[in-house]
Amino acid sequence: MTRTQLPQPRAVLMAHVRAIAFALRVPLLIAPVFAIVATIFLAIQIANGDMTGNLYAEPSALPSIIGALLAIAVWVREERFGPGFLWTLPVDRSRHALIKVLAGWLWLMAGVALFALSVMVLALVYDGGVLPVRSLQVLIAPVTSQEPLDPAALRTEQWAPGPLIVLVPFVSATATYLLASAFMVGVRHPLRWIVGAVVTFPVASAISHVGSRMLGMLWMTHLPERAVTGLLEGRYGLEALVTLRTWSLDRRMHLTSGERIHVWSAVPDLGDWRIAALLWTGAGALAVWFAASRHRERRRERRRA
Amino acid sequence: MTETDSKASSDAVTTQGLCKRFGAKTALDGVALRVPVGAVYVLVGVNGAGKSTLFKTLMNLERPDAGTATVFGLDSGHDGPEVRARIGYVPDRQDAPYRWMTCARLLGHAAAFYPAWDRAYAVQLTGALGVPANQRIGGLSKGETRRLQLVLALAHRPALLLLDEPMDGLDPVVRRRALVLLAEHLADTPTTVLLSTHHVGEMESLADHVGVLRDGRLVAQMAREDLQRTVRSYVLETPDGWELPRELSATALRRSSTGREVRCTLVGEEREVTDRLNATGARVRDSRSLPLEDAALAFLPEEPT
Repeated sequence: MTRTQLPQPRAVLMAHVRAIAFALRVPLLIAPVFAIVATIFLAIQIANGDMTGNLYAEPSALPSIIGALLAIAVWVREERFGPGFLWTLPVDRSRHALIKVLAGWLWLMAGVALFALSVMVLALVYDGGVLPVRSLQVLIAPVTSQEPLDPAALRTEQWAPGPLIVLVPFVSATATYLLASAFMVGVRHPLRWIVGAVVTFPVASAISHVGSRMLGMLWMTHLPERAVTGLLEGRYGLEALVTLRTWSLDRRMHLTSGERIHVWSAVPDLGDWRIAALLWTGAGALAVWFAASRHRERRRERRRA
Repeated sequence: MTETDSKASSDAVTTQGLCKRFGAKTALDGVALRVPVGAVYVLVGVNGAGKSTLFKTLMNLERPDAGTATVFGLDSGHDGPEVRARIGYVPDRQDAPYRWMTCARLLGHAAAFYPAWDRAYAVQLTGALGVPANQRIGGLSKGETRRLQLVLALAHRPALLLLDEPMDGLDPVVRRRALVLLAEHLADTPTTVLLSTHHVGEMESLADHVGVLRDGRLVAQMAREDLQRTVRSYVLETPDGWELPRELSATALRRSSTGREVRCTLVGEEREVTDRLNATGARVRDSRSLPLEDAALAFLPEEPT
C-alpha cells in the first residue's frame, strides 16, 4: 500500500484561519467600527482627565475580555468531545486542537494590533509621542482614612515605562485566550464547571468561616476570598497582567485644598508585570497543552500485570 | 512472509477480539472482522448491534476496551491520522458540521485536509447528487446533508470507504443515483467498501462479502457466494415426533412447522445437510438458496430484542 499523504500543518492552519474568519465574520467586520468607537470613548476619557495612568495598560481589559470570548466563540460550535467532524480529519487530534487554538490566536493578535494602533494614535494626539511619560502623584506613606489629603503626603514621579508597555494588551489578551481555550478544549461541560464554581465559592467561604471559629484555626478565615483576591488583585494577579494594576493603584482623592486628583499608592511596576505575564501566559500555554492532550490519538499502553 | 502476513496484506480491514462497552451495555464483543482489499463488505445488524461503534473504532473515534483494529496494516489506535487519510467516512448521524458554512465552503475546507482531494470530481459529485452548493449547511434537509456527506467521503478518492447507513434519509430517486455513482466510483477508483445497511437488497448488485453483527458479536462473515450457497431454506416432510438433530440445531437459523411439514433455514453445504436430515428420517422435499437479504437477515432474531 502506497503511503497516503497527510496534510501539511500550514495547510491545516490556514484552513482553520479561514474557517474561523467565516464563522466570526460579523464580529470581524464590525471590529474596525468597534475600534473607532472605543478610540472615541478613550479620547473622551482622556479629555475629561479620567485616565492618568497609561494608555496601553488601563484599557487592556478590553482585549483581554475579547481574548476570552474569542476562545469560546472558536470552540463553542465544535463537537469537542465525541465523533465530531473535526476529529474525523486526518490530523493528529491533540495537534489539531493546538492548530485550531493557534488559528484563533492569529485573529486575536490582528484585533489587538488594531487596538494598539488606535491607542498609539491617541497617545500621539494627547501625549505628543507613542510612548507617553506620565507624571503621577504618589503617596509617600499608605493612607487609610477618607479625610482630605495633605499635598505634602504626595510626591511627584515621572512614569516612563518604556517600549515594553506596548506588549501589555498583546500578552494579556494571549493569556486570557489561552486559559479560556484550555477550558473549552479540555472540559466536556464548561457551563457545569462555571455553575459549580459559582455554587462552590459561597459554600467554601461559609465552611472556612465556621471552621476557623469552631477549630480556632484563624488562618482559615476568609481563605477562599483571600485566594480569589490574590488571584485577581495580587502582585502577580490577573489585574497585574491585564492593567499593570493601574486600576487598583490609582484612586481619586480630595486634597485639603479642595481639589480632587488621581492619587497613586505606588508606581506600576513593569518588572512585576513581566513576572505576571510569564506566570499567566505559561499557565495558559500549559493548560492548553494538557487540554489538547485529552484528545490524544494514541492509546496509553496498559501496564502489564 | 508467513501465511498470516500474506493474509493481512490482502486485507483492507482486520479486527481481532475487538471489545467496547458503554457502561453496562456491550457494543462490541470480541469482533474479528476481515475485509479483503477491493471487497464491498456489507455489514448487517439491527439497531444497536454495534455497527456504528465498529466504524468509529476503525476511525479511532472510539477507543476499544480490548482488541486491535488495523486498516491496510496500520493500527487505527496508533496511526489514527494515517488511517483516516485513507478513509472516506459517512457517519451514521445526519447532522452536518459547521452549520454556518455553505456546502461549497465546507467542501473547500475539507479539501485542505486531503492532498489527494479531486476538486473536479467533487464538483461532479455535487452536481450529480444535487447538493445545493451555495446553501448554508444549517438549512439542509436530512437527505441533502447525507448527499453532502457522500461527496465529502468520495471526493478524495480514498482507498477505503466506511459508509454507515449511506442511503439513510435519501429519497428513492437519489438512492438510485447514489448507488450508480458508487458503482461508477468503484469502477474508476480501486476502493474497498465497508458499509452498513438495513436494506441489504439494495446493495445486492455491489456486495461481495457479508457480515452480520448481533448484540456486538460478529455471528457470520463470509463471501456472498458462500453465504448464498450455504444458507438455504429446506422444506422437510417429517415423521411424527421428529426433532431436528442436535448437530443441525446449532446451524438452524429459522424454523416453522405446519403439521408434518417443517420449514427451516440451515447453514451448511447442501449435500451434507440433506444427508444428515435424511439420516434422521426426514425427507427433504425442497431446498433453495435465499436472496442475499434473506440469507443475511436469517442470522438476526425474528423478534425485536
